[in-house]
Amino acid sequence: MRGAVVLFLSVYLLRALVAEVNSALSGAHVWIFAGGLFLAYASLMATFRQGLAVAVLAGLLCDALAPVGFGTHAALFAVAHSLVYHFRERLQREETGVRVAVALLVNIGLFAALSFARIRVLPAVAAAWPRLLSDLLISEGAIVLVAPWFFALQASTLELARAPTERSL
Amino acid sequence: MALKSLSRASFFEMTAPISAAGSYANDLQRFWALRLHSKDELIEAGRDLARLDASYALSVQQNGELQAEVERLQALLKMPPLEHFRFEHARVAQRDFSGWWQRMIIRKGSDYGIPVGAPVVYSGGVVGRVSEVHAYTSVVQLTSDPGLRIAAVVDGDTRPISFQGALNQVFGAPRGAIEFVPLDVYASASVPKRLATSGLGGVYPPGLTIGRITHVESSEDGLFKRGEVELDPRLGELTEVTVLVPLDPSS
Repeated sequence: MRGAVVLFLSVYLLRALVAEVNSALSGAHVWIFAGGLFLAYASLMATFRQGLAVAVLAGLLCDALAPVGFGTHAALFAVAHSLVYHFRERLQREETGVRVAVALLVNIGLFAALSFARIRVLPAVAAAWPRLLSDLLISEGAIVLVAPWFFALQASTLELARAPTERSL
Repeated sequence: MALKSLSRASFFEMTAPISAAGSYANDLQRFWALRLHSKDELIEAGRDLARLDASYALSVQQNGELQAEVERLQALLKMPPLEHFRFEHARVAQRDFSGWWQRMIIRKGSDYGIPVGAPVVYSGGVVGRVSEVHAYTSVVQLTSDPGLRIAAVVDGDTRPISFQGALNQVFGAPRGAIEFVPLDVYASASVPKRLATSGLGGVYPPGLTIGRITHVESSEDGLFKRGEVELDPRLGELTEVTVLVPLDPSS
């Protein structure tokens, strides 16, 4: 369980950093969504239970700060974790490039799911897509830049905390 | 339901110290940046402030007289008294401007008696309304948020129209949309009209600026018009806002 706590703390730190960046970029109406990055490492490297715990806790953290039904992010993150866990044995998951690609794909899936969940609130649906697409593109760019550092941070903190993941067992 | 609310509040409070710490760090950075100004600059700024202070002191006197006159007329006409507010100034801890919602977290919550639904204003007009109150922070739903609706009036008109936050494109000014606009109201980007709160609905006091109507067109049914409102670009960069806390808790 120590592994799940360490991974969740790293996600907590990343979420705080993303929130600060979003706050700084608010004047330009640019917004970064990094849901895929929150759970990519845990889904690829941790045991199913550890990964699920991280995904649900990270989802609840996002839910608490967003005007969506409490549990929306948590449910989406849990589904995404289950899917990635199911397919991970077919991937070269030790490779950073593969991890980044998984984070990008999961991020697209989560962003699309949240967009469909929120679209009914928007006054002009057709006009909403350019903004949502630009947010998604900027988010993907940010993930490409940050993901290698974040994965290294998660691996180092797990090592420091002597918390084994499935791969190191 | 109670468990859900408790979990939500607990997770929010987990993030609150980080948001507040970032905001305090920004304040400290600004403080040390101001310390670098020369004494001459400070003397000049003090002189300007003294002039402003004098003109505001005059406005306060005039305001007091007008307030007394309003109260006399209210008593004469046996009108219900206007709602009174306490001004609670608060620093902005974090802003969240996604395509789905626009909100900000302020550094005052139930510790300062901020109630849910209280209007939030700044020098440019309406910022939004308090949507969540936590122990030391509150969440403000902004006027540009698609989930926020306000009963508004066009400057110089008394007929109410409906304002809703709209889409905010990247690098563009925040925008809103209006519905149920009377057919004889005209506005364009070259001749915009001021949109203000109507006072209906009991949340916002009347006369506060929401934005400028830059476009109106007939709606599909032809009974009303609909249009676009340009909001103040400063909405995305605010560092301090004022919460209007009703003095009568029942209101």
